[in-house]
Amino acid sequence: MAAKIDDKGREAFAAFADLLIPAHKKMPSASSVGVAGPLLDEVLRLRPDLQEDFMRGLEAITGEKAGAAANALYKDDEAAFNAMSLVASAAYYMTPQAREALGYPGQESLTYDAHAVPDYMVDGMIERVTRRGAIYKSTPR
Amino acid sequence: MATGSRPAKRDEVVDVLIIGAGPSGSVAAKHLAQAGMSVVTLEQGHMPDRNDFPGRKPEWELVTQKQWHPNPNFRDRPRDYPINTDESDVHPLMFAGVGGSATIYAGHWTPFLPSDFRVRSLDGVADDWPFSYEELLPDLETVEREVGVSGLPGNPAYPPKMSYPTPPLPIGKVGRKAAECLDKMGWHWWPGTNAIPSLPYNGLNACVRRGTCMSGCPEGAKSTTDITYWPHALKAGARLVTGARVREIEVDDRGLATGAIYIDEHGRERRQKAHTVIVCANGVGTPRLLLLSKSKHFPDGLANSSGLVGKRLMMHPFSAVMATFDEDLESWRGPFGQNIASFEFYETDEKRGFVRGAKWGAMPAGGPLGATSFVGTKVFTDPNAKVEDMWGPHFHDMVDRRFGHTMVWGIIGEDLPEESNEVLLDDNLVDTDGIPAPKLKYKVSDNSEKMLKFHEDRVLEAMQAGGAIETSVVHQMADTGWHLLGTCLMGDDPKKSVVNRWGQTHDVPNLFVFDGSTFPTSGGLNPTATIMSVALRQTRHMIAERRNQEAA
Ligand SMILES: Cc1cc2nc3c(=O)[nH]c(=O)nc-3n(C[C@H](O)[C@H](O)[C@H](O)COP(=O)(O)OP(=O)(O)OC[C@H]3O[C@@H](n4cnc5c(N)ncnc54)[C@H](O)[C@@H]3O)c2cc1C
Ligand code: SF4
Repeated sequence: MAAKIDDKGREAFAAFADLLIPAHKKMPSASSVGVAGPLLDEVLRLRPDLQEDFMRGLEAITGEKAGAAANALYKDDEAAFNAMSLVASAAYYMTPQAREALGYPGQESLTYDAHAVPDYMVDGMIERVTRRGAIYKSTPR
Repeated sequence: MATGSRPAKRDEVVDVLIIGAGPSGSVAAKHLAQAGMSVVTLEQGHMPDRNDFPGRKPEWELVTQKQWHPNPNFRDRPRDYPINTDESDVHPLMFAGVGGSATIYAGHWTPFLPSDFRVRSLDGVADDWPFSYEELLPDLETVEREVGVSGLPGNPAYPPKMSYPTPPLPIGKVGRKAAECLDKMGWHWWPGTNAIPSLPYNGLNACVRRGTCMSGCPEGAKSTTDITYWPHALKAGARLVTGARVREIEVDDRGLATGAIYIDEHGRERRQKAHTVIVCANGVGTPRLLLLSKSKHFPDGLANSSGLVGKRLMMHPFSAVMATFDEDLESWRGPFGQNIASFEFYETDEKRGFVRGAKWGAMPAGGPLGATSFVGTKVFTDPNAKVEDMWGPHFHDMVDRRFGHTMVWGIIGEDLPEESNEVLLDDNLVDTDGIPAPKLKYKVSDNSEKMLKFHEDRVLEAMQAGGAIETSVVHQMADTGWHLLGTCLMGDDPKKSVVNRWGQTHDVPNLFVFDGSTFPTSGGLNPTATIMSVALRQTRHMIAERRNQEAA
């Protein structure tokens, strides 16, 4: 089970996450879609292997200025930086808000007509391949 | 756990014991049981439950980087065994369970070509197979019907053959763009053939293009043998024991196999006796088990008088090329089989400075986290970049540019056999049952290096011709040992091979190997179609010869 993250820790993570994933053009910032809220606990529950590196990184940046702290962490403890940045980006793209802004409906199921004639059958694309003829080497006799 | 219509009797000696319920073991179990033989299969993993697969959940991409990573060392599930890869350029990938490694395969269905069986005759290197493409074709065509392959007939990369049981999957916008690039060059391409049916087939649902195939298909649409073979095998009376890890194949005083000792999931040691034993544990698991089965008769491991058990490991060095386009390619959509494939540079051309060739497959690139990774491994990043280069506004711009707009080409180069590439037993590492784990020694050859470079350059040319705005090459990725071949060589000479042309070990007449370990050469493509066809060929021969089979 993940260690409890207090308000100060969440604040530090929100600032870190916003540095990595700020509001930009059509995209919302990480903290505005709630990556430092209950979603943070959820991501750490889904990936218990990240907890140790994450908590170490969080401790290192708490109370520091986000920009300098992130760069220092990247330099001194890349594993912690990687865990924190993965948690931030994974949490971000799990939110409906970020997905909608990006145009990602998630991995959805689609129906199609398996018997429909594909474009390449009628527009000459596949014909050009078949016209060039066989390209394999036959079994030598 | 045991399933099957006929309950096990203690000390019962069955006709055939199969070790491993992946594609090869499943083919054997079904056909042997249907021929009326009593069959028990021992599988260290469990029957998959498609509700456990993460593809429908929002965390799908996050867990594919760990719990569903294809590398068992990284994934570290209790039913996996660890593998020492300290001395291996390529990391072996696999999965333990009914359906085997195919539980997480991509379903690219690419049978070996005629030249793959005749590398020595055509190229003067490696070895010819003891049988030809034409001899294997009837088995391939049967397997394709059982598997429910989807594809378009008439591919000029292959000799004419029977059409596929289901029509090709939609190639999607990724496939269309990829085809346009190759069309510009005048190069071969063909809509992907996949072990993923486009219509409901043999217990499978039609693929709905969810695109999460490599972490298990939550739709029951990707063809795996838990769905396509086991219901038939169990109905015919085959027994399947899961959570059963075999640690030794036993022999009697005459040197004939008598069955196997396994550890059940409660940690209890058990014994299954059989008249005939077939090993189907893959190119790493099979030699591991033979090397573990040392005895008075076989001090160097079972069936190893040639010294070749574990040698000639082939894993297909692999490069990935990412190409991003301006157009929206909806490149998170599936299937994560191959949308299209190209065999343009498959056959040898000496002018290129290497022998043999590679198949290319075009695939989608996945969700937004996939903008920097391929099959669970972060590879499409600049290792020297600073925080600001990778994050902040640049991060958004990078994802915006790549997500939905990117295809990934997989280049599978033929791996030529070398005795120095091998599977051994590790001196220290053990699995959760305390059984010694395998250790790999494997170096990518000069021929493979040259081959991959040539093919990367050709893919780049085609992508640039087609208007790619960004490309990136991962040369010889490490986490790509999805094809495990060659470690129990098949051949006619008992001094120079482990099994004969029927998969029967030269040293132990009632011990057989039916998986890809027996392959003399690797082809430059995904091997499961051929692994299953060879398993069927050997099974059919075993059935035909059952009255003549020597047993303990
Ligand atoms: C990520 C990934 C993607 C792939 N994509 C493709 C693809 O697109 N196309 C393609 O053709 N191939 C692909 N492959 C390869 C394909 O999965 C294998 O070729 C195929 O599964 C081999 O079948 P097999 O039965 O020989 O071995 P496996 O499928 O590996 O099955 C062996 C079984 O034996 C069991 N076993 C091993 N040791 C023991 C023991 N001691 N006791 C009991 N049980 C044991 C294992 O648990 C396993 O279930 C891919 C593989 C991976 C990992
Ligand atoms: S793309 Fe098809 S095979 Fe792959 S996960 Fe989706 S439904 Fe299954």
